[in-house]
Amino acid sequence: MRPASHLLLLALLLATAACTRRSPRADQAPEVDLLLEVEPSPPAVGQAVLYLILTSSDGIPIEGAELSVRVDMTHAGMQPVLRDAVHLGEGRYQVPFEWTMNGNWILTVEGTLPDGRKLLRTFALSVGGSGR
Amino acid sequence: MTDSKTRLVEPRQALYHPPLRFDVLHLPLLGPLLRWRWSRLVFQLALLAVAALIVYDGFSGPQLAPANSATVLAWVHYRGLVILALLLVGNLFCFACPFTLPRTLARKLSISGRRLPSALRNKWVSIAALMSIFWLYEWLDLWASPLLTAWVALAYFLVAFTLEAIFTESPFCKYVCPLGAFNFVYSTASPLQIRAVEASVCRSCKGKECINGSETVLGCGTELFVPTLRSNMDCVFCLDCARACPYDNVALAPRSPLTEASERRWPARWDLAFLIVSLTFMGLLNAFGMVPPVYTLLDKMRAALGLHSDAWPLLLTYVFGTLLLPSVVLFGSGWLSARLGLQRGRGAARRFAARYAPAFVPMGFGIWLAHYGFHFAIGGLTIVPVLQSLALDHGIGQFGAQPNWELSYLLPADWILPFQVFAVLLGFAAALYSLGRRALKRDVEPARALLEILPWALALTLITIASLSIFNLPMEMRGTSQMGNR
Repeated sequence: MRPASHLLLLALLLATAACTRRSPRADQAPEVDLLLEVEPSPPAVGQAVLYLILTSSDGIPIEGAELSVRVDMTHAGMQPVLRDAVHLGEGRYQVPFEWTMNGNWILTVEGTLPDGRKLLRTFALSVGGSGR
Repeated sequence: MTDSKTRLVEPRQALYHPPLRFDVLHLPLLGPLLRWRWSRLVFQLALLAVAALIVYDGFSGPQLAPANSATVLAWVHYRGLVILALLLVGNLFCFACPFTLPRTLARKLSISGRRLPSALRNKWVSIAALMSIFWLYEWLDLWASPLLTAWVALAYFLVAFTLEAIFTESPFCKYVCPLGAFNFVYSTASPLQIRAVEASVCRSCKGKECINGSETVLGCGTELFVPTLRSNMDCVFCLDCARACPYDNVALAPRSPLTEASERRWPARWDLAFLIVSLTFMGLLNAFGMVPPVYTLLDKMRAALGLHSDAWPLLLTYVFGTLLLPSVVLFGSGWLSARLGLQRGRGAARRFAARYAPAFVPMGFGIWLAHYGFHFAIGGLTIVPVLQSLALDHGIGQFGAQPNWELSYLLPADWILPFQVFAVLLGFAAALYSLGRRALKRDVEPARALLEILPWALALTLITIASLSIFNLPMEMRGTSQMGNR
């Protein structure tokens, strides 16, 4: 086979693979409000507590959701932190945490609402310093 | 074989023939594999598959750098493995480089086989390319963006293909590619080098197939002539010379890693000397980009310039750190060194720069090893859960039902700073040793010789202090791609 044919075949294989790739998990409840509070604030290296406040569009606390967080730094090669949230009541969910480094972090909240719908939200945080 | 190529093959300098201890190309199993006509292609296809994965996952995968193989493979594994390969073996990445695979197709399209214009046949273009890629890396947070990383990989293929289609002498590799420039410089401190087995065989050889090629194998793409080869600079380790030689007279032989830094006579060229010194400062600046003082500096610069974007502050920082500072060190030390050595006249500074700048190779090597080694050590195993996740995205569960995100460190965390300090100090010690050996080989009094290396030794000392300070600072990782501030 000529080299051009090899490249074309490779491109076709990649396109096929991309079509079969599972779509990223989607947020099935965009009307639900999820608020993130961090203590201490502003965030600093060390022990911290994350609070997730889950309410409906009418402001009614949502109880009994199963929430977990994945916290990543923005650089490749950094180990993510995975935690399950603890339900405190009144729509509040708590995640004990530790910021191990100054810099920018991406917090992804995934969960399942009491009605079975999937929730997915992302927050960007800056720990320590003024950032870029 | 053109007239210009015929002129190239006549040796104009003494044939290089140090003692040959052993030849990697004749080791059991490994030797036949490397001498096999298709061995390089096999490795290139393997890296082509990795490049394809980077492009694919970069475009279609999660846009979160720690969770995407594009960013993990490019910024953690490639950088860590390339520096280790250069330290332990040689220019293995250029040997297996996938960016030159489209060369075969490009050569079929080659318009006239002309050379790159002579004004561009030096290292200034690759120096500019290195500065550009490092600036873009910081400004666009390439390390945080799978998508942009994929675009970088595609751009490499496109530029390589275009240049190979138009020009001969592997211009992309030799004069443009920033990865190649980095690899060429630090392969001059690698423990293996291509050389002739018997000089007498080369003297009587008519065809010079090592550079001209044979019926089945191309000759050296960067037009290096094996019998006179004294350096790994510009050698892509393709081994075509060995495969083409009809007398099996080409060896891949061990040598002291400090041979070139401490003994070899380098061409008296400002571009080569500047490349070596500038790469050392680039290593410093690349590490500096991850510690708190740089963010304070950029904040102040943005405020002073009335800007919101980091582009200009970063550019100014890089111009200062990789252009102005190395210029001061190189030209200033070259001039001062010549004066201290009681040498004046045209070209004296250039000759002294060419003599002593190579000592910066081990210094820069130590800094890059400390930085790239750090990322590889703390994140080398993250590729496992990333690939598990990629497999699960395609319905392949054989590698685990859940990615194991606990995997990360290759070395215990408390080993890493000592490793970095050791790498920098080893580089510094090797640099001072190289300076001293070069000085004492001069045909002058030892006291005079040691005096003339003072400016270089001072520069190396300051660089060492700066790099140790940087590596001892707490690290921050700030990527603005997610924060909305470009």
